[in-house]
Amino acid sequence: MANTESKSSLIVPGDATASCWSCGTMRATHFCSACGKVQPPVPVDYFSFFGFPRKLNLDAALLEKEFYALSRRLHPDVFVQSATQERSWSLEQSSLLNDAYRTLKDPIKRTEYLLRLEGVELEEQSKQATEKARATGELKKQVVPPDLLEEVFELNMHLEELRAQKKMGEDDPALLEEIGKAKLSLEEKNGALFSELKSEWKEWDAAVDSGSEDERKTIRDKMLDVVNRRNYIRNLLRDVNEAIES
Amino acid sequence: MSYSDKVLDHYSNPRNVGSMDKSSSDVGTGLVGAPECGDVMKLQIKVNPETNIIEDAKFKTFGCGSAIASSSLATEWVKGKTIDEALEIKNTEIVKELALPPVKIHCSVLAEDAIRAAIGDWKKKQEASKPAVMQAK
Repeated sequence: MANTESKSSLIVPGDATASCWSCGTMRATHFCSACGKVQPPVPVDYFSFFGFPRKLNLDAALLEKEFYALSRRLHPDVFVQSATQERSWSLEQSSLLNDAYRTLKDPIKRTEYLLRLEGVELEEQSKQATEKARATGELKKQVVPPDLLEEVFELNMHLEELRAQKKMGEDDPALLEEIGKAKLSLEEKNGALFSELKSEWKEWDAAVDSGSEDERKTIRDKMLDVVNRRNYIRNLLRDVNEAIES
Repeated sequence: MSYSDKVLDHYSNPRNVGSMDKSSSDVGTGLVGAPECGDVMKLQIKVNPETNIIEDAKFKTFGCGSAIASSSLATEWVKGKTIDEALEIKNTEIVKELALPPVKIHCSVLAEDAIRAAIGDWKKKQEASKPAVMQAK
């Protein structure tokens, strides 16, 4: 599980209780609560950056409000007259703020970010499963369920046909209708998966408060499964739209 | 990012594209996908049940150039090998042969998965047909 490369892009919770560099009182994350000076960025995750718990049901209006308030205060323009160090801290904090906001605002990015925080290596799943299968001699458990793969493959065949026909200047209404139907079914699936994800959020948030580590891990893996399937559908929808519009 | 010459060669001139009869008892089918990129790969092998040698292999991949090249190479490599020899093929060998960059390693993983899945499917068919043979005796 340990992989420093993928972890390095994450900001891990660290010691945010150090004192203010300027006046020595206990400092807050962004500004000193006593003297108001900007603070150097501390290694925290995006949730902590906004002072939120590591939960997935997030108050979007509150996030936006906090973001704009912090943006104004941290903006490098405000520090034009300040010392070099403070100027560079404001810049670093601002860029952290933007990354954190963009990540948390988007429901899927937020979920994927949390999964990473919880030790999932999204980009490594397939490789890890292959290595495990190789070591045990068992057949690898596919990350994407077989019936979905079949559907993806079939639809890709239709899309290829459509592209070929368009190239020849031909038009097959039956094929277009078939693809149109598939598109609708994909959009439905996409919506259903998002609802499923949202109900997992609820479970996760409850488990953050009172669940065991095992419970959290189970919910984490369920969310991962939904995210994986959804990525597949998303890519497919993109391809369908491209093929129809081209 | 630029593709290596070998990837380009397989991509523009893929070997063994096509399909075989999925229901045939000597054909094994592996259908695999990578959630990282949404690629999907189908690899089929035709095995001689006497010798366990893979006599033919076909693939069809929807994905990037590296995924297509990886599966094209995989079909080339498994042909003429026994089932056990084919199971020895590792994704790292595909990476080396095609000079795949780190971001494209999952394409080679997919190709290894496809080989294993196809062989697994074929083995399952062989086992399923065994009791019938016993009964016939």
